[in-house]
Amino acid sequence: MARMKFFCDAERCIECNGCVTACKNVNEVPWGINRRRVVTINDGKPGERSLSVACMHCSDAPCMAVCPVDCFYQTADGLVLHDKDICIGCGYCFYACPFGAPQFPTEGAFGSRGKMDKCTFCAGGPEADGSAEERRKYGANRLAEGKLPACAEMCATKALLAGDADVVADIYRERVAYRGAAGMQRGWGVAYGKPGVQAGKDMKGKAAGKD
Amino acid sequence: MFLEFVEGPLWYASAAIFIFGVSLRLIEVLTRGMPPDLSAPRGPGWPGALRTLFSRSWTAEGFTRGATFHLVAGYMFHIGLFVLLLFAAPHVVFLEERVLGFGWTPAPHWLFILAADLAFAGLALLWLRRVMHPVMRKISTFDDHAAAILTFIVMFTGCMALLMSHESLRAIHMLTVCLLLIYFPFSRLMHAFTFFLSRGFTGAAMARKGVQA
Amino acid sequence: MSDIAAPSPRLRYRRAFRISVLLLAFVLIVPLVPYGLAATGVQLTNPGADLWREVRQRVQPYEATTQVKDIDGAALINTWGETWREFRSDRLVPIGGGILLGTLGLIAAFYLIRGRIRIEGGRSGELVPRFSVNQRVVHWFAAGLFVILGLTGLVLLYGRYVLIPLLGPEGFSATAAACKEVHNLFGPIFPFAIVGLMVLFGRGNRFRWLDVKWFIKAGGLFGHRIADSGYYNGGQKTWFWMTVLFGLLISISGLVLDFPLFGQGRELMAAAHVVHAVIAVVFIAASLGHIYIGTLGMEGASESMTRGYVDGNWAKEHHNLWYAEMEKAGMVGVDENALEEVRRHDDIDFRGFGSPLPKGGDTGH
Repeated sequence: MARMKFFCDAERCIECNGCVTACKNVNEVPWGINRRRVVTINDGKPGERSLSVACMHCSDAPCMAVCPVDCFYQTADGLVLHDKDICIGCGYCFYACPFGAPQFPTEGAFGSRGKMDKCTFCAGGPEADGSAEERRKYGANRLAEGKLPACAEMCATKALLAGDADVVADIYRERVAYRGAAGMQRGWGVAYGKPGVQAGKDMKGKAAGKD
Repeated sequence: MFLEFVEGPLWYASAAIFIFGVSLRLIEVLTRGMPPDLSAPRGPGWPGALRTLFSRSWTAEGFTRGATFHLVAGYMFHIGLFVLLLFAAPHVVFLEERVLGFGWTPAPHWLFILAADLAFAGLALLWLRRVMHPVMRKISTFDDHAAAILTFIVMFTGCMALLMSHESLRAIHMLTVCLLLIYFPFSRLMHAFTFFLSRGFTGAAMARKGVQA
Repeated sequence: MSDIAAPSPRLRYRRAFRISVLLLAFVLIVPLVPYGLAATGVQLTNPGADLWREVRQRVQPYEATTQVKDIDGAALINTWGETWREFRSDRLVPIGGGILLGTLGLIAAFYLIRGRIRIEGGRSGELVPRFSVNQRVVHWFAAGLFVILGLTGLVLLYGRYVLIPLLGPEGFSATAAACKEVHNLFGPIFPFAIVGLMVLFGRGNRFRWLDVKWFIKAGGLFGHRIADSGYYNGGQKTWFWMTVLFGLLISISGLVLDFPLFGQGRELMAAAHVVHAVIAVVFIAASLGHIYIGTLGMEGASESMTRGYVDGNWAKEHHNLWYAEMEKAGMVGVDENALEEVRRHDDIDFRGFGSPLPKGGDTGH
């Protein structure tokens, strides 16, 4: 079976937050819940890179391991989903997750932590595929319609890839080969006095380090 | 299914018993009558009634030290309880949807926690003192213990249902609420309504005699 | 006009040979230049590797920003999450379970072997006042809270392994939701109960040398030679200070966990959880011993906290120095229904702070 994964190519991400907007739109995510976010490292400095982060659907998911009510389940596609009816809003999954994927509404009953919400890879939840109940609780179920997650589909530069891990890996391998190792080495910090091999005068783009 | 029964027929029945029972008890008290006071009245009764209604909310001089525990724990419980009953968000919603037709701003989260903790602690301390103090233990009846324990259980089941996501927990809370409503008119909990009458009567009778009470 | 003739075939051949050799040398040597440069120490590693290695460190020297307003939103990877997950799932659950079950087993074994510790001289029928009304109210208030908090906490820790097979996922979800709400609502009251215990049971709980001797004789748990003891013996003092220390630590960590409104990040919450859970397991295990002794384990002990009075022979056997002082003060063989005794027992002024001795008596043994 295809194992579904996300991959964000930091060389291509332009921090447009299109993925964030697509996710919020398609899943009707309430205010204050951030299923996906874009993190920018060294903003404004040479070597600035951005990454789009949401649930990484880990093979050995820490959230699944620490949940006191065992509300997580892993689908045949390798996606880590959870059942909001079972969730008690304790927050342990949030402490354990390396990526901060679980989100909690603070305006739950009495302002205490409500049910956990997170990226579902646009695969919905345990309710029937495409039902109104599923849509209300978990957002869109695009996978059941044969589509890929909205964030990856929306990505302007195809930095964010989602889908069968083998296919994603192939795409990325092709990019690495095309860029060449030199693309990574050259010009990363050449300007502004960092050591390294000089970029050729005809090289263009980010790989040339002329940004 | 059970939830529908508890929030439907059982709720209506227990509310009816509550309203009917409380009214009957109050009418019973009011129509009891007293032998007439044949002395000449020194003044009208109503100012004394009003005065005593409020003055009895604190201990008389000299008794405060002995009653400190009851004063503190008693007010903790009662004030906490009223804030809970009237301003907890699910209660406001329930009253608006099923009883009154209008609502009001519910309490913020921190105030709810404070009120709930005060109410639980006050009630637990009061009942424990009733059980531990030799005199109170001797004079306490079944009604005394049942009222305290039943109220605690109602509050506890309410706490259990706070997440507002499981029907079973809400149903258990509603069930205990209905039981409390049914028990109310036959118990010492009637003090909630009769304390007006008792304080007022004592104050009025004393004022008529020209005595400040 | 030049006399230079076209090169002879031999010269052309030699030139071609030289060019080929040079070309070959060039093709062979130039690719070695990067290695040569590397040997001289010029950095040719992938600079991206450095950045991403930094990203995975626990301490983050890089600056990250994000548009979402979450606490920790800018942290790409929280490495403490996995540490906490391993601690909770692989250490706390099995080891804590071992500690709790082991303690229960030890107590059961002790009861089967030693049996109930009886009052050797039999009951004398004379009452000695031991704990005032306020002391008993505060004790049972704290004890009730402890049981409620402990049970709900244990359900949250072990319910997944023990109760889901019994109740099913939905049934256990309702149970766990109820336990979580009760635990979080009653939790903030616990520190007040601990402070109450400190105030009302503090007097007489200082460790003295005779407690060391009491410990050496194991307090009469094995054998029948009980050492000297004052109002509290060494075991009780240990339990008191455990309660104070554990109670305060568990209260502080619990408050950090219960009110995540003050900017607590994931690391702080996970750390607070570790403190809370470890102390809870040890606290519960120790409380099992306390509960055992106070109920089943020792004849004549439970009435001290339910009734407030103990039998004279029990006091003589287990707290002999205190009994001697009470005898001197004329407080052995009191009538618990007498008016003065009821008034004194009420301790409404908190003057005695629990000590039933009048002023001048030293119960600090």
